[in-house]
Formats: sequence, C-alpha cells, structure tokens
Amino acid sequence: MADLAPDIAPARMNGSDESSVVPVLEMRGISKRFGATQALSDVSLQLSRGEVHALLGENGAGKSTLIKIMTGIESPDTGEILLDGQEIHLASSQDAQRYGIAAMYQEPMIFPDLSVAENIFIGHRNRGKFVDRRRMESEARDVLSRLGVEIEVDEPARGLTLAEQQTVEIAKAISLDTRVLIMDEPTASLSAHEVRRLFQIIENLRSEGVAVLFISHRMDEVFEISDKVTILRDGQWISTRPRTELTPRMAIRDMVGRQVVEIFHRERKPPGDVRLAVEGLSKTGAFEDISFEIRAGEVLGFAGLVGARRTDVGLALFGIAPADRGTVTLDGQPANVSSPRQALERGIAYSTEDRRQLGLIMGQSISNNIVLPSLQRFLDKFGLVKRDEERTVAETYRMLLKIRAASVDVPTGALSGGNQQKVVISKWLETRPKVLILDEPTRGIDVGAKVEVHQLIDELAGQGMAILLISSDLPEVLAMSDRILIMREGHQMAILDHTEATQEKVLSLAMGQASELDDVDARAALRAVDGLIDAGSSAGD
Amino acid sequence: MTDRLLRHIRPEQFRELILLVVTIGALLFFWTQIPNYFDPRSINRLTVGLAIPLVVAIGQMMVVLTRNIDLSVSSTVGLTAYVVGTFLTRNEVSPWVAAVMAMLLGCALGAINGLLVAYGGVPAIITTLGTLAIYRVVLVEISGAKTVTTGDLPGWIGSLPSKTLVTVRDYDLRLMVAIALIVTIAGYLVLRFLPFGRRLYAIGSNPDAARMAGLPARRDVFCAFVICGGLAGLAGFMYLVRFGNITVTAAQGLELQVVAAVVVGGASILGGQGTIFGVLLGVMLIEILQQSLLRWSGLSEFVKDAILGLLILIAITVDAVVLGRLREAWVNTRRRDRAAARLVMEGGADGAD
Amino acid sequence: MGRIDARRYLRRWESLLVLFLLVVLAYNITQVSNFLTAQNQANLFQLSIEKAIVALIMTFVIISGEIDLSVASMMALSAAVVARLNESRMEHVLAIVVALAVGLGLGALNGFFVANVGINSLAVTLAGYIGYRGLAQVFIEDNSVGGFPGWFTRLGQKGIIGPITFSIILFFIMAAVAGVILHYSGFGRRVYTVGSNARVAIFSGVPVARTRIIIFATSGLVSAIAGILYAARLGAVRSSTAQGFELDIITIVLLGGVSIFGGVGSMVGVLLSIFLVLNLRNGMTIAGITGNTQTGVIGLLLILSVLIPNLVSRAQGRFRRTPVEPQFQAPRPETVQSAG
Repeated sequence: MADLAPDIAPARMNGSDESSVVPVLEMRGISKRFGATQALSDVSLQLSRGEVHALLGENGAGKSTLIKIMTGIESPDTGEILLDGQEIHLASSQDAQRYGIAAMYQEPMIFPDLSVAENIFIGHRNRGKFVDRRRMESEARDVLSRLGVEIEVDEPARGLTLAEQQTVEIAKAISLDTRVLIMDEPTASLSAHEVRRLFQIIENLRSEGVAVLFISHRMDEVFEISDKVTILRDGQWISTRPRTELTPRMAIRDMVGRQVVEIFHRERKPPGDVRLAVEGLSKTGAFEDISFEIRAGEVLGFAGLVGARRTDVGLALFGIAPADRGTVTLDGQPANVSSPRQALERGIAYSTEDRRQLGLIMGQSISNNIVLPSLQRFLDKFGLVKRDEERTVAETYRMLLKIRAASVDVPTGALSGGNQQKVVISKWLETRPKVLILDEPTRGIDVGAKVEVHQLIDELAGQGMAILLISSDLPEVLAMSDRILIMREGHQMAILDHTEATQEKVLSLAMGQASELDDVDARAALRAVDGLIDAGSSAGD
Repeated sequence: MTDRLLRHIRPEQFRELILLVVTIGALLFFWTQIPNYFDPRSINRLTVGLAIPLVVAIGQMMVVLTRNIDLSVSSTVGLTAYVVGTFLTRNEVSPWVAAVMAMLLGCALGAINGLLVAYGGVPAIITTLGTLAIYRVVLVEISGAKTVTTGDLPGWIGSLPSKTLVTVRDYDLRLMVAIALIVTIAGYLVLRFLPFGRRLYAIGSNPDAARMAGLPARRDVFCAFVICGGLAGLAGFMYLVRFGNITVTAAQGLELQVVAAVVVGGASILGGQGTIFGVLLGVMLIEILQQSLLRWSGLSEFVKDAILGLLILIAITVDAVVLGRLREAWVNTRRRDRAAARLVMEGGADGAD
Repeated sequence: MGRIDARRYLRRWESLLVLFLLVVLAYNITQVSNFLTAQNQANLFQLSIEKAIVALIMTFVIISGEIDLSVASMMALSAAVVARLNESRMEHVLAIVVALAVGLGLGALNGFFVANVGINSLAVTLAGYIGYRGLAQVFIEDNSVGGFPGWFTRLGQKGIIGPITFSIILFFIMAAVAGVILHYSGFGRRVYTVGSNARVAIFSGVPVARTRIIIFATSGLVSAIAGILYAARLGAVRSSTAQGFELDIITIVLLGGVSIFGGVGSMVGVLLSIFLVLNLRNGMTIAGITGNTQTGVIGLLLILSVLIPNLVSRAQGRFRRTPVEPQFQAPRPETVQSAG
C-alpha cells in the first residue's frame, strides 16, 4: 500500500484538481510495540475526501491501536502520518482535533449534565472569551439540522437515547470542521431503525466531503455503507479493496487467514423432559409476552438483531432485572427469581457477554474466579476457604476446557479473550446449573477457541443441561441450536425447529417484514449473510 | 401528574425550589417562634455570619464540580489569617494590600493541593486530608503558640467589620457581606459565562469524555483548587478583620460547615452538578438553623454539629433517592415525547423505538 | 498500579516498608540506649494502640473499595456514651455494652446508606464524621468527664503480662483474627471481590450489600471498642477525644500498600505500616518534634504514600499517558499469532 502513496504529493498541492487525488489522511508504514507484543507492523492506510472506508479485523488485529495513533492517544514507534500530503505529528488528542481528526466510540462520550448545545461546543477553542448561549444554541440547531435530526439543544444531554447521543457526537465533530471522522463500532448498541438513521447521517457526511473510517463487526453494514475496505490481521495490513471488488467470503478469508470458517457440527439427540418453562414473561419497556420451554439436553437459540432485547430476557431469568409479569418454572418448581443468588440456588446460571465488566475479576487468579459463585461449597466449618479443593477444581477445568495458562494462579486479565471465556464458562459450570444461559459466548474470541466452546456446549447438552444460547452470530445459532427463538424489538416472532430454520427465514423474522426491508438495503444484508453461509457450509447443516 | 410537572421543570430546578421553600419556611417558622426575629440586629448578625462560610463555599463548590473535594480550606483560612495578622502587627499597609496578600497566600496553598491532585494523581480526599493537617501544623510551628491580638493590629482592623455601605431602615449592608456577595456574583458569572466555568461542569460530569474531547482537564482542576485556596485566603482576611484575635485553632472545623453547605445546596459530591444559587441557599439554611435553633429551643450550642451531620445525611439521601427517581422519570418523559414527535413527523412508520 | 501484578507490587511495597522500618528503628536505637526493651516497645505501642486497632478494620473498608471517615467520631461518641452513663451511675459494664451497641448501630447505619441507599461512602461517612462527634458534644458538651471505676482505668493503663496491657493483647488477637479472615476466609475473599469489581460480584451471586453492611457495622463496633479503651487509658473523655485520628488510621492503611481504589492490599503490609508509623512517631518524639507537628508529618506521609507509587509507575513508562480506557494492555490472543 505504501508503494502506491504519491511521494510527490506535497509538490502537487497547488493544483486544485489534484487535491482530490491526495488523500486527506495517510498512515504510512506504522509500527507500534507494547512490551512483548507487536501491535502493529508496517501498516498503511489512505483516506480520501467523501469516502467511507471500512476497517475490518478480528479482535487483536490492531484496529484499536491504529485508531489510537490516528487520534494522537498513542504515538507510533515508526512510520508517518500525512495530512493533505504533509507530515504531521500528533502528540495528543488535542493535536488530532486541531488537524480535523475526530473519533467516536461505541459508548458516546457525552457530558450528561451539560446541555446538548454545550456538548457540541465544549471542546471548541477560539469561541470568544464568553459563552454566548443564544448563538451557541442556534448554531447547534444548525449543525443538527444539517444532519437531519431534531433534538432540543437546551436540555441536559442525560435525557438522550444512545443513538441521539451519538448524533450529538457527530454534530460535535462536524462543528469542529472535522475532515476525518473515525467511528468505532457505532452501531453495536443501536436498533435497526437507529442504524438506518445513522447511515443517513453518514451519507450526509460523505456528501459534505468528510472522510469516514467505519469500524464494525457486522459484515452487512460494512458492505452497505463503505466505499473501500481495509483488512488487518495480527497487526499487519492484509488488503485494501473497493467494496465492489470484495465479497464477504473474501473478507472473512482475509480476516481469519484461511478459506473456510470451521463451524462445529452438532449431532442432535432426542431431548429429555422439560427443564425450564417460561410463560408470558413481560417487562415494561423491554420485552412482551415471551413464552418457551427448554428440555434437558436441548439448546434453544435466541436469535435477533441488536436491540431485540434478547439479553433483557436472559437478565430477567437470572434475576438481575426481574420481569414484571409471567411465570418461570424449573423442573416443575416455580423459579421467578429476583436476584442472581436465588437464580444460582435454583440452578440457573448466566454467562454474560461482557467479560471485562461483568464476567471476570481481571486482577484475581483463574482459581479465584472459577470458585467465586460457588464459594459457599468451598468453605469449611469455620468459614475458611478450602484452598486445596479450590485448586484441584480449578486445575480440572483448566485441563478439561484447555485453558491455556501457566497455572491457575495466573490473573485472568493476562489471558486471551478465548481463554477468558473458558474461565467464565468454568465458573458457571462449577455452580452445577440445570439451565445455562450463554450470552454471546464466542464474541471476540478467535476461531480455534470458538470451535472449542461449541464442542463444550454440545457436551454439556449431552449431559442433560438445558442451554439458552443468545448469539448474534447466525451461523452459530443455526449450527448449535435444536430450536431457535427469534426476537424483534422485545417481541417473540417465532420459534423454529432447526430442521426448518434457514438464515433467510431467521433474518427476515428478526428484521421484520418487507416494508422495512425496502428501506434497508436488504440485498446487501442478505448477500453478506449468504457469504457467511458459504464460508461455513462445509460444517453447517 | 409528575409527567406534566416534569415537562416544565427539570429535577435540578425542582431541587432548588424545594430548598428555597425550606429556607423560607425555616425563616417564617422562627419568625413565629422568636420575638423580634426580623429586627435589624438579628438580621445583621445573620448576614455577617454568612459572609465567611459563603466565600469559602463558592470556592469549594468549584472544586466539588470537578469531582474533587478540598478539606484543607479551614487550615488555609486559619493560616492566612495568622500570617497576614502577624504581618500587620509589624508593618503598616493598606487594607487592600493586606487582602491581596491573604488571597495570594491562599492561592499558593491551593496550588499545592491542585498540583498534587491534578498532576500528581493523588486523590483529592487524601491530598486535602493531608494538607488539612500540614497547613495547620505550619500555623502551629510559625506561631510558636502565640496569638495575634486585636490590640497589636492597626486601627483600621477594628473599624472594618462594622463598616457599612448602605443602610436601609437600620438594615445594614456591611462591607464583609458586600464582599461575600461580590464573590458570589463573580462565581455565578464565571460558572455561567466563562468557558472555564462550563468546563468545570464538563470535567466532573464525565472525566473520561473531558480528556477525550481534548479539554485541558488537569489545568482546569488545578485552577479550581487555586481559586478555592484564593477564596479561602480572602476568607482568612475577613476572619482576621472580624475576630481580631487569631489563635492556632482559628477557623478549625469550618471545612465541615462549608462542605455541608455545598452538599445541602445541591452540588453533587460526584461532580458535574450544582449551582451558585443552590450553594447560597445551602449556606443560608445552615446558618439560619444554627443561629436560630439555639435561640428558639434553648438548646445548647453543642447540638450544632449533630444538626450539620443530620442535614448532610438528609440532603444526600434526598439526592440519591428522590432526585434519582425524578431524573429517571424526566428522562423517560422526554424520550417518550421525542419518540411521539418523531412518530408524527415520519408519518407513523417509525415509532417503534 | 496495574491490578494485574497486584501481588508482586505488594511484595515489593512490603519489602520497602521493612527497609524503611529498619532505618527508623536504627535511628531510634542509636538515639536511645534502651530503645528495644520490651518495656519501651510496649509503652510505644500503648500510646497509639487505639489507632492501630481501628486500622485493622479500616483495611477491610478500603480493600472493599470504600472509605470510613467517621471512625474517630464514633470513637469519641462511644467514649462519651460510656462517660455520660457512668456519670449517671449506670452499672459500668452495662454502659460499655450500650456504647458498643451504639458503635455497631451507627456503623450499620453508615453501611445501610452505602449499601442499600447507594450513596457514595465518602459523603455518608463525612456526614457521620460531623454528626457523630456532634452527638458526643450533645452528651458531654465541653466538659471533661471522668470518674471511672478503678478497674476500668487500671485495665486501660496497667500491664497485665509485664508491661503489656489489655489493649495490646486485644490488638494482637484482633490482628491475628483479621489476618485470617481477610486472607483465608470466604468473607475475606468477598471483600476483595467487592472492592475489585462490585458488578462481577453481583453477577456471581455474591451478597454485595450484606458484605458492605457487615464491614461498616464492624467498623463501628471496632471503633467503639477503641474509643472505650481510649477512655480507659486517658481516664477522662472530652467531645474532642480522638479528633483527627482518622487521618493517622487512613495513612497507616494506605502506607501499608492498600489501594485507595479497592481490591488490593494485605494485612502484613498494614501491620508493618503500623509498626513503622509508631516507631516513626517515637523517633520524632526522641528528636524533639511535638505531637502536632508529628501529625503534619503523618499527613505528608499519607500524600507521599500515594504520590510516590504514581510517580514511579509513570517513570517506568507504565502510566497511561491518557487514561482513556481504564484497562491494562492484555496480551493478544496466542492463537491469532499462530494463525498468521
């Protein structure tokens, strides 16, 4: 890539026609090392005016390090950054802001106590010595209307939804004359409608000549919105192609480094008796009238888009955010729980998607984490921890689940994502649950570990556990589940048997009917999914 | 009912309204209970009593806005009062010079706090708990347990406290009170109209976002501590003028009254929230209760701190429980309203979220 | 301070404490000939024994990610209660029981507001810091109340085994129990868990609220014990009794390597820190530095105990230049490397 860079670019700056040829921002041969790990080696990237450029890569591929370098939070060990062909040095995020480079993250960086208008203009320098509220508010209104949104600008930002907060962040970037806007997983927590609106805004940005670097894990979005796609793997640049020359299959190959994604092939066995029965479960503002049952040895998949409120159902069953109405029975006994403690006592365990915040205590050892929910069983009559027993159990899980660590005393923060996930699952298995809720158990872990997790799910079901598998990875849900419950915006759309479930069926139920599919570029979404099916077909059903 | 109310008034405004009602209610209550409650002497005593805590509280609030706290203010007040007092016993300078000296000394002490917190990464509670002791020790050391007495001070010190700017029907506006009011108004202007003031709110509201947005968060926190120290220094000068006799224990415990006033006035200890008006009300309410309860019930002055503790507890509980609920309700109401508006705008196709 | 190598960090910190302690001891020994005698060491201990006792429970409070500023006020209040009840001729043992109950109750009240109402412990215990001493003032105003029974003051002042007093014996018993609970019991494990990441604890079914209430209630109880012992040792109580002790107590705990952010710390470190601070104060007394100034030095020590690790880690380049995400740099997944 670096070879293609026009070395004589600065000399041609004067020619007005040429300015569109010179990329707005160019990263050239960037390398960065953290201790023993080479986070980036010789990565190059060019962003042009009015271009939406997608950045793809698995977790750990170096995307976030690259963003940090672009925004001045980290400085590269080697390599250069060019703005309009001129080399620049970014010593801080202020520097980046001054050069017109801004970033927005999955969690919007909002000041809840300031007004919307202030949120937009707080970072501005040279706006006079005094705050002119009226002018600020009218300018805020202007910026927001340029984006095609209407938000009251004088109210505290705490009242905004996540999507609205993102809009405010984009407005902030535009008002700073941002020329390069980096969007790090902006759609991860948005509903389908909100994604639509965001994409309209991105279109507006494109037509205003802003260069957008778009990072997403969702292939369909990447293929819908981007002009160019750059793929990183292991801190190295792999490819940059125009979207039109790329297929999802190629993209996945570049990301994982091999042609075929292995998906575990699961033998379904006839399930046993009903374990968990849920009837009319509802929670105001979250979900309505959810009813299903899971038998012993059965895997029930929960499919749906983000915003479908699948996690809310899981949280309700686990007692974190109890439901308002409805009944839950476990082995015929009532099991409407109002705290995780009660849930664990009854034999319901819930493995969260968010390992870092909710799953593991990163500073504590593997063994401490594994016994945490079942600590009571590891205490002697004086309330002291039986350390030998604890170690033995932890060692057992380390062997069984192939947790790669020097010993069970290693802090979980030092493990890779896949191994952390295995510790999380171990911790819940040690509570000996009858029902195991797995929320996105393979998100952000590498392919090898993913297959191992799938194997594990199969084994657990084989032992008679009832498993509720919440996953946004459609091929995974299809491959692992006996039946699939599809949710859309808090409503249960259908329960399909694995024999009748196909990607198209599940997706159309999850996304709603034709009227909505019209305004989504449904074909792009489906094409992306087809690509995934191709990729996983050798192992799928 | 709450819905309709919440469309017109924000929870924070609601809180100030409650405080205002409580303060006025307290005044009216004591008026019915204590004879001559609103006579000039008693009102003058109240306003003069307010002046010093108010000045310190304005500075304290700026620090609290940034999600920090300055417990060292009372030692700063005592130390500056003593140092300036000692200086005045030996040198002949004008009141203005003395006041500026006190403020500069206060700024320097505040800057030490600010350096440690903003640039040293030492939590504010630790830093100022430490400097609370250290500044007091410095006072003890330099004083050699001697006191500054009114007799040694220049003559103008004696006349300043009763110096009155305006008198309306025996109600005085004393110089001390005027200074406090000027500081209050200046504080209001800074927090409302200067970018610096708005940044203080931003930093406390979301420190991570403040750094990401490229705000000079460290410098601003440092400045907040310097201002807080400077105002404590000014209060030290006022303390000297008001009391004349300065011992090594001067102003001890003032930090508690001030933090209490700021918290009761609605500033969140977690930063980002609070108004000057609220702080003014907080200082007033505490001063009214402290002065009037004693006169009314014949309770000894020893209940003062117990009441203070109780007030803080009530204030933070109301904040956590009532205000939290209100705020949630407000957010929901607003979101619902906007969703409804969108539904109308987009012809009903898009109201699902 | 990365949580990741908390253990290694602590070990290093503890060796630093030992080194510092040796220096202070060496100085003291050269200055005073009979410094290391049991008599002298016991006297030394006796002088700050109440702070040392409260530091034990403060260790739990801070490791659980909270703070209790009200301990010294609870000490004063329980002492005032004993004094007041004694004055009104209540059976002395009963008075002590009442005072202990008051401490336990107020501690539990702190805990209730922190754990159940969900208010920041700094704000809650600040209210207690002011209010509880305020209650002590209500009870005994500005009087010095004494006139305790002889057995009570003897208990506070006279040695039981040689020069070793009841308080010192009690301290060592409590220290042993606290160490075992913190490091070997299920409860201790929960304290660390709650302090490291309360959300993970909740998700794991740990009774977070109950753990917090127990810690704060115990903090009240232990403070009451310390306050009563203090009353016995001094023979009289004022409302300003134990004023400012929280500074020393928190300093001892932080100096012992306990992180103000919770989740990290050890009882060994805190015990070392107690010995260090006691000997340091003793050394300062030998050097002719008065009590007040000693407090200032302790304040300085408190700041330095947080500042120095900060500066050191920054110098090592491990400090996050812009603390954008409070995360450590986790090693990349090993399988990704093999895939490339």
